[in-house]
Amino acid sequence: MSGCGAVVGGVSLDNVDITNQAVIQGVISSGNAPASVGYARLLDRNDEFVAEVPISKQGEFRFFTVAGDWTIVALIPGANSRTPVQATIGKILDVDIAVIK
Amino acid sequence: MSNQSLVDAEWALSHLDDAKVVFIEVDEDTEAYAGNHIKNAIALNWKTDLQDPIRRDFVNKEQFEALLSAKGVSNDDTVVLYGGNNNWFAAYAFWYFKLYGHSDVRLLDGGRKKWELDGRELVSDVPSRAATKYVAKDQDLSIRSFREDVLKAIGTQNLVDVRSPDEYAGRLLAPAHLPQEAARIGGHIPTAANIPWSKAANEDGSFKSIDELKALYEGAGVDLNKDTIAYCRIGERSAHSWFVLHELLGVKNVSNYDGSWTEYGSLVGVPVAVGDEPGTA
Repeated sequence: MSGCGAVVGGVSLDNVDITNQAVIQGVISSGNAPASVGYARLLDRNDEFVAEVPISKQGEFRFFTVAGDWTIVALIPGANSRTPVQATIGKILDVDIAVIK
Repeated sequence: MSNQSLVDAEWALSHLDDAKVVFIEVDEDTEAYAGNHIKNAIALNWKTDLQDPIRRDFVNKEQFEALLSAKGVSNDDTVVLYGGNNNWFAAYAFWYFKLYGHSDVRLLDGGRKKWELDGRELVSDVPSRAATKYVAKDQDLSIRSFREDVLKAIGTQNLVDVRSPDEYAGRLLAPAHLPQEAARIGGHIPTAANIPWSKAANEDGSFKSIDELKALYEGAGVDLNKDTIAYCRIGERSAHSWFVLHELLGVKNVSNYDGSWTEYGSLVGVPVAVGDEPGTA
């Protein structure tokens, strides 16, 4: 049994079979540089919370999910933003998010 | 929000140097605490410290006593728990400390996330605390449920599945920050209501107001006069919901099923419901 803990920046793709899941990953930036403190939150099509990871020092995040419409909420100190995305099974979707303070 | 079991940042700041108040960060991933943490906080690892190394169960009373003694926690200390993941693991540890009868345990509202987003200080110095002789009580099994309790509760008592709607329906097998697993079935325990833990929390990880929390459960049609069993995937998100019900709303007949879906969803011969509706007994 693995725990439910969120790894900073998201779980590595090493040893993960991505053919049966949709991967959403990217970088959150602020002021033309990666944000070093913050969180990426994934909401479903009804705006319900699905998952959240602390971003890495380079602003990175990653989610593993199924096909469909999702929203990424970027939370950094003093600001946040919402980015709708569409994920596909077997694909890695790269999403870069610039948060304006 | 004023509650004996919940403290805010201002309370925490005024007690950081109080030797009888022990701040404990609880995570599954030790990277966060090793990087930085609240001043004078010590760390507990959700898995390596609180789970039996071989069996799927908690450390026993003697192991818990040895752990807290080595960490320098005394029976009369005020323990303040906080952590990442919107306090999932800290809430789990709160429930765990209650299970073993610690008299004064509290949760920092919003945990590490709110502390960070509010720009409060985190330090890297690791404090040293002198060893103690901690004495635990026998487990209070009124707040812990097992699979037999859950099976008896189907259709008769409240079952509250606090996972996300997609996990409840069986569309996802794990939270989406983890790779989706393939070996276990998806779905939920028949008759369980889906009240995701996240509905009790604000975006910064702090708890919603008491009125909002009451409305959440009443609006979902849960009769809190009945016994209630909360569950999730491994019992930590449901510890968060247990905290809401037991500590914030004062509902006493609530327990946490720590076996949760990773156990129930692997049992042979038990009923399972899939889709967005609770299903029937």
